[in-house]
Order: sequence, then structure tokens, then C-alpha cells
Amino acid sequence: MRQFLALPSLIYLTILFYIPFLIVILYSFGFPGFTLKYYSEILDPIYIKVFINSLTLASITTLLCFLLAYPVSYYIALKAGKWKNFLLILVILPFWISFLLRTYAIMALLTPLGLMFTYTAIVIGMVYDYLPFMILPLYASLERLSRSQIEASYVLGAKPYQTFLKVTLPLSKPGIVAGIILVFIPALGEFVVPAMLGGTYATIGTITWDLFLRYHNWWKGSALSVVYMAIVLVAILLYIKRVGRIEL
Amino acid sequence: MMRFIVLLVFLFLYIPIAYVVASSFIDGGEITAKWYVKLFEDKVIVGAFYNSLSIALLSTFFSVSLGTIAAYAFLRGSQRFESLLYTPIVIPEITEALSLLLFYKMLSFPLGFYSVLLGHIAFNIAFVFVIVKARLSTQLRTLEEASLTLGADEIQTFLRVTIPLALPGIVAASLIAFTLSWDNFVKTVFTTGPGFQTLPLLIWSQAARGVVSPSLSALTTLMLLISFLLAYLYAKISTRRE
Repeated sequence: MRQFLALPSLIYLTILFYIPFLIVILYSFGFPGFTLKYYSEILDPIYIKVFINSLTLASITTLLCFLLAYPVSYYIALKAGKWKNFLLILVILPFWISFLLRTYAIMALLTPLGLMFTYTAIVIGMVYDYLPFMILPLYASLERLSRSQIEASYVLGAKPYQTFLKVTLPLSKPGIVAGIILVFIPALGEFVVPAMLGGTYATIGTITWDLFLRYHNWWKGSALSVVYMAIVLVAILLYIKRVGRIEL
Repeated sequence: MMRFIVLLVFLFLYIPIAYVVASSFIDGGEITAKWYVKLFEDKVIVGAFYNSLSIALLSTFFSVSLGTIAAYAFLRGSQRFESLLYTPIVIPEITEALSLLLFYKMLSFPLGFYSVLLGHIAFNIAFVFVIVKARLSTQLRTLEEASLTLGADEIQTFLRVTIPLALPGIVAASLIAFTLSWDNFVKTVFTTGPGFQTLPLLIWSQAARGVVSPSLSALTTLMLLISFLLAYLYAKISTRRE
């Protein structure tokens, strides 16, 4: 009987989340008619370039976030001592601020530096916004890794770099995978950062915006979104296969 | 070396914020609060503030009510369909936003206050569900059973055992729902109509043109302050529980 209490939420999400998704799929096939023309338009070299732009930007962002986040997470999890809680608060606090405000903050700083509307500005903004999403899952997995495992490796004669490569890194793999997913997927469709810091630089996010809000081309916009969602779904499925479940 | 990198990363995370806050208090080399005074005199900004506030409060109320009873429903028994309730969290926001826009267009639903509100509730239900469910621990299940064994009926148990135990989780979820709705931009911009503006939309309309101004920084600072306050309350509630 108790199960029925979930019905209002399920009905609400069916109407305002799942049905709208089906409508996007309908439109991508040319609703109210049926055509594959919008998908073939999406395969045009111009759009392929947009996809490549976005994949490159998301990859660079993920890689830089990982390189910056790993030492930070490692330090907080294993070395920070009495500073641990304070540093954790500093990592979590940005989660409470929207991307719009944080991107405005980075924009305010980049403007006097003369870096606005460059690729560098986009990358700085992306790393700035997404870094906490990498630090937190890495921290969580490094925290679980016990200090004795690292000490055992030292006792057995491993050098620091050997310990890192053969013990720490492999054991923090779930965190690495989670961090990559949490950064890469949203970064791929990111709209606010390239639009604010990059001027006319085209990504999946900015083109989606243009197609829907500027040109009102629902059909082509829908086809683009369906392709984007397909990429996202493949990424999530790979993740579930690797890690076994979604953990936030 | 590692300490140096850690320090640099934290400076990187906080210098832009500090810069915005500082620049909102400066006018030609002097410290001033005039940008803030101007904000409160600007009718458009005050109007957008009330819009943001009413959307955030209403979407929090509805999503917490719906999400909490759903979490309660899934606490015992079959977990079937549960994933339907948290899928919105893993879907990129822009996809969700544009699908709502198409949905409204198809129904010729007028875009404005209600279209924004309905969209915010959908997104928040998923977050509330996940948070409240995580906090309604297995301990609660045991205590509920104890209460039933000791002769209380289902309703008494719900009111005197379940609700008090679930309260910290409900408050935490409310704070998160409010924050997500209060400074939401992507979903709002896709589902709003002419004439309905919230504070993030106002910031966007100027910042998208590359404008950085002291009054915009003052508005951003105020919004940051509210976010920090919400985060503080959240931390307070979470630590009290332990």
C-alpha cells in the first residue's frame, strides 16, 4: 500500500520529464511528419566540427581537472591532518554556487587580464567550474584507501613512485572513473562557459542554444540533442559496467 | 611540492570570488556601498528578486512534499521504478531544459511563471528523493517496526516516529532544493517567456554581452552571500544529526 505514495512523484516526472523526452525524439524525426533529414543535416561537416570541438574541450577540461585535483584530493585525504575539515569545506562550498555566478567571477578576473574571448579563457573557465566535481569523488576513494596499505608497500621496500603507481593509483580507480564521468558528460554539453567567455566559439551547448532559442529550429535542435544524449548514455553505460552503480 | 600545488588550486578556486566581492565595494579607488544602494533602488532588479524568491520557495515546497513521500514509499518493499525518480539527476540540464520547452510549445502552454515553476519542481523532486531516502536510514525502519510492535498504529507511527526522525533529512533536502532553484539558469532561460525574469536571467542578459560592472558584481555578491548562508545552514543541520 505504502508504494502508492510514490505515485504522485512518478506521475509528475512522467508528465514533466519523460514525456518531454519522447517529444524531443519525435521532433528529431520531423514531427508532425517523418523524415531523417535533420539527422543527415547533423552529420554535415559543420556539425561534425562542433562535436569535435566539444569532445576536445571536454577532454582537455577532464584531463586538466584530473591533474589538478589528484594532488589536492590526495593531500586532503591523507596528509591534511587538522586542516582536513576546513579544506573539505572549501571544496564543497563551490557546489552551492551556480555555474553562472562562478563563470561571472572568472570573467570579472579575466577581463582586466585581457584574456576574454579566447580559447584559453574557455579552458580556464571550464576547469574553474568543474574542478570540485573531480576533487570530491577522488577524495572519497582516496579516503577509503587505508593508510596501512600504503605503509605496507613502503615496508616491503617500494619506492614512493612505485607505491603511487602500484598501490595508490589502482586503488583510487573508482574515484577516478566517477570524477571523469561527473566532469566529462556535463562538460560536453556545457553552454554557459563557452557562451560567456568564448564569444562565438561553437560547442554542442552553444549550437543547441542557437537552434532552439535563436532560430527556433526545434527539429534540427532535437536531432542534435538526441545525438548528444546517445553519447551521454553510452558513457553512463560504460561507467555502470565498470563501477557497477551510480554513486554521487 | 604537493603542498604548493594544493595551495595554488585553492587560490585559483577562491581568488575570482574574492575579486568579485572586492570590486563590488570599490568606486574609483574608494570604498563604497553605493552599488548596493543602486541595486535596491532598481525596480527591475527588485522585481526579479521577488520572482526568483517565489519560484524557489514554491518549487521547494512542492518538490519536498512529493519527493519525501516518494522516499518514504520506497523505504520498504519493492525498489521497482525507483530509478525513474533519480534519472533526472544524471541527465544533462540543457537536454532537460529544451525538452520542457518543446513540451510547452506542443501544448501551447504559456511561457512564464508557471512554466518555469513546473520545470523547477521536476528537477528538484529527484534531488529531494535521493537526499531524503539516504537519510531515512535502516535505523528508522527498525524503530518503526518497534513502534508498531508496541501497539501504535500506522498513522501514530508515521507522525511520532517517522516524521521526527526524517526531519533533518527533509530540512537538508529543502535547503538543496531551494538553492538549485534559486540560482538556476539553464532551465529557467529555456522555459521562461517574455516579461518573466529571475536574478540569474538578469545577470546573464548583461554578462553574455561581456559586460563586467560593479553593480553586476554587487548583485553577484548578494547571491553568493545567500548561497553561503544556505550552505552554512546545511552544514549546521548535518553535523547536529551526528
